[in-house]
Amino acid sequence: MGNRVSNWFKERINMEDLPFFRTPDYMYHVGDWLGALVAAAFFYTVISGLIILLYYDPAAGYQSTETIINKVPYGSVVLYSHLYGAYAMIILAFVHMFRNYFVGAYKKPREIVWILGVLMLALTLGASFLGYSLIGDVLAVSAVDVGAGILGSLGLSSLVPILFGNYSAGDYTRVLAMHIILVALIGLLFLIHFFLADLQYGMMPSRKVKDKAPAVYPKSEWQKFNPWWPRNFIYMMSLIFLTWGFILIIPNALVYFTFPQIANPFLNPKPAPPPNSPAAATVTTYPPWFFLFVYKIADFPGSVLVDMTIALFIPLIYLLVVPFIDRSPYLHPLKRRVFTWIGILMMIYLIQSSLWGDLAPGVPVSMSEILEVYLPPAIITGLGIFLIPWEKVSKGLSKGMSNPPTMLAFTFVTLAFASSMIYFLTTLSLASLATVISLGSIFVILAKLLTPYVMRAQQDENAVSVEEASKVLEKKKRIAQIIMIILFIVAIPIVVTMWTIPPTGYYSNLFGVDLGVLFLILGEEFSLYHYVVYKKPVEKEE
Amino acid sequence: MPLRFRLNGRDKQILESTDLAFLYKLVRVMKNPKTKFNEVDFVTKGEDYLFNYVNNNVGGVDEGRRNFLKGILIGVAVTTVAGIVPGLRVLIPPVQSVSGFPKTLILDSSGNPIKASTLPVNSPIIMVFPYPLQNEINFLLNLGDENGNPVEVPPTTVVVPQTGDKYQFPGGVGPNKSIVAYSAICQHLGCTPPYIHFYPPKYVNISQVTAPEPNKLTVQAVQAAKSAKVPAIIHCDCHGSTYDPYHGAAVLTGPTVRPLPTIVLEWDSSTDYLYAIGAVGVPTYPMSSNGVPSNDPSADLDESQFGASVGDKTEISETNPFSS
Ligand code: HEM
Ligand code: FES
Repeated sequence: MGNRVSNWFKERINMEDLPFFRTPDYMYHVGDWLGALVAAAFFYTVISGLIILLYYDPAAGYQSTETIINKVPYGSVVLYSHLYGAYAMIILAFVHMFRNYFVGAYKKPREIVWILGVLMLALTLGASFLGYSLIGDVLAVSAVDVGAGILGSLGLSSLVPILFGNYSAGDYTRVLAMHIILVALIGLLFLIHFFLADLQYGMMPSRKVKDKAPAVYPKSEWQKFNPWWPRNFIYMMSLIFLTWGFILIIPNALVYFTFPQIANPFLNPKPAPPPNSPAAATVTTYPPWFFLFVYKIADFPGSVLVDMTIALFIPLIYLLVVPFIDRSPYLHPLKRRVFTWIGILMMIYLIQSSLWGDLAPGVPVSMSEILEVYLPPAIITGLGIFLIPWEKVSKGLSKGMSNPPTMLAFTFVTLAFASSMIYFLTTLSLASLATVISLGSIFVILAKLLTPYVMRAQQDENAVSVEEASKVLEKKKRIAQIIMIILFIVAIPIVVTMWTIPPTGYYSNLFGVDLGVLFLILGEEFSLYHYVVYKKPVEKEE
Repeated sequence: MPLRFRLNGRDKQILESTDLAFLYKLVRVMKNPKTKFNEVDFVTKGEDYLFNYVNNNVGGVDEGRRNFLKGILIGVAVTTVAGIVPGLRVLIPPVQSVSGFPKTLILDSSGNPIKASTLPVNSPIIMVFPYPLQNEINFLLNLGDENGNPVEVPPTTVVVPQTGDKYQFPGGVGPNKSIVAYSAICQHLGCTPPYIHFYPPKYVNISQVTAPEPNKLTVQAVQAAKSAKVPAIIHCDCHGSTYDPYHGAAVLTGPTVRPLPTIVLEWDSSTDYLYAIGAVGVPTYPMSSNGVPSNDPSADLDESQFGASVGDKTEISETNPFSS
């Protein structure tokens, strides 16, 4: 019976023949699926946004936000996770972009995919800013003030009513409409982006397979790989539910803590008091964290136009045109050192300026301070990148610098080193000198050792025989199977408690935490199922 | 893995029991008309066809184990849905949590309880307070005659011209029974102060017709005040609606077709404090602007429209429309 039903569907919905990219075994790693994570966050945010839309009243923004939080059943769960869904989307979009930057995915034939991606990131930041304005608390109102002020000093004040309508009079209808319009645009661009990336060109082959642009599998070749249904579906489900799990757990757990002021922009999901309340006077206003870098760069000497050019226009334009500047066919980061260097600097500067904006908001910055903060990373990473000898690296290296964790570690060390330099320059103490020296040496060692290390690891893997590998794998699969059973058992009491959590009030956010944990479990189950059923002992990069 | 056959050709243990089971299954699937093995395709497409065929129809991990895992997966998915179900309550709009009107103490703009006997008579300054919900503002008026002496405002019957319905206006409170409160949101299209406000007697004359907004009166308003013999009026500059504060804010001139709702006040003679305790008449604009006016002022308690309840205290805010 069950089989007949499933066959009936199988015949009608011919899942095996879906035209999506067929995926080789070795590509089932998050690094290759960051786009799916961004999409998962996007869909979560859209769904939660539509639920909020049932209750939000743009004529009484703050009031209705309060009503959603305090009166609507699980309203605060949905609202806070909407906010963190947007946060997740922003962070993942940045990670996705930088990853594609370092593997050279913007090169021929994927230029349009890349440009659409950059535009989507800009739209995401814009949509999030507008969403943030909808809360109508002091922070939102002052952020809109600052935004409108910046537009004004760029000579774009005619854009203010177009974007914000009658915002200052408390009518948020226009901002709500714009928020949704930008999101719809993101959705539209996403369709094109996905169509081109997945159906037209397919995912980028590993650099071992193809180290030059155009890096695509010929269609005939990709027919050999795994069809979308069911393997990609299962893998994708695991990614979606894991993402959704984190989006739900983090904000709903954070509401139970209070934070020092510097952590508020990142960690406090609750709205601030309304602008016309006495409490508002004591609130330190700050922009949403994803614009802190702009906020800090606005403290630079020079006109607003100059500052915004530095903070927004130059990076944006650079990212849009980079496929046309970097015309070499080489994909390896060390075969395009200048671009790799610029990419790393963009990452570092983004993080640095954001943190600086958080620590010293609105404090004017002198030219010498700018040099102190921004010059050392440039010099250090520059030296690091240009000193790595290509000859050594090129032998047998596959993933090298461009895999996200190593990249992150490298960035972290660089940042730590750079900030220790600043610290040293401001204190001029012996202790800080020691920090600089040690961090500096770690940096140098890391930069030098990073590549050969990755190389060695890969060699070891290949040395193991296939028989050995299958035995080990089978053992791991048994363990995975046991974990699947345990997780199932854990899920049941969680569901039972969820039925007892009150829909409003202090404890209601626990519902969000529990639902998030359920999603994590479900995602993990999909992931383990994928592992047991599909994982092969050797997944060579073909 | 069936393809291990091909991958490790040098493997000695070819005939494992699982391999046998696999072969048996493969043969069965190949005979099944629904999943028939197409020899022609095999010849033309070669190994790739076989690879896909096996992958799609037989699968790597043996069937029993796979079904067991599928069972767990489906079990967890169902469990998750069971967890989402109570969350669907998010779709149920919250019930009005204000079961009735609160008793709310009226405070002055600096936060102290207002004293009824010190309330200025015929004040040109607009004094509004939110009640019963935070976005429902209301005038507080101490009515007097032409000479500024407080006058007693008697209870009366008010007519809603739109429907012909009638309701009872309770009259003024305070030491002189001269204090009243009405919604400050015009029943025509919802204009709020300073466009709608009280005009003390000295402004209710024909010279006010040429005054700038928001203090302009229409000729009809001045005439209507005269024929109704009232010294002062509430008038809305948006489209010229006029209300009679001495008679429950009944309609004097259109375009409005509904009186302003009355806020019922209570005066505590021992403390001289004023409390808002309820509302009568139609509900606050726009609750009945859809052409279905109701006599039920408790529609005002709809929090999704007007925000949260003010609770047990509400504060006055003041503006002077005539100063500018
Ligand atoms: C069709 C989809 C969407 C709809 C209908 C929607 C609707 C809304 C509404 C009504 C609010 C106001 C919540 C309140 O303050 O009461 C809001 C807030 C917000 N939205 Fe969306 N939204 C959508 C998608 C998105 C997406 C994709 C993003 C991210 C790029 C986003 C980012 C935000 C942010 C950051 C807030 C502020 C939330 C808070 O701080 O509580 N929204 N959205
Ligand atoms: S809104 Fe008051 S007269 Fe039209």
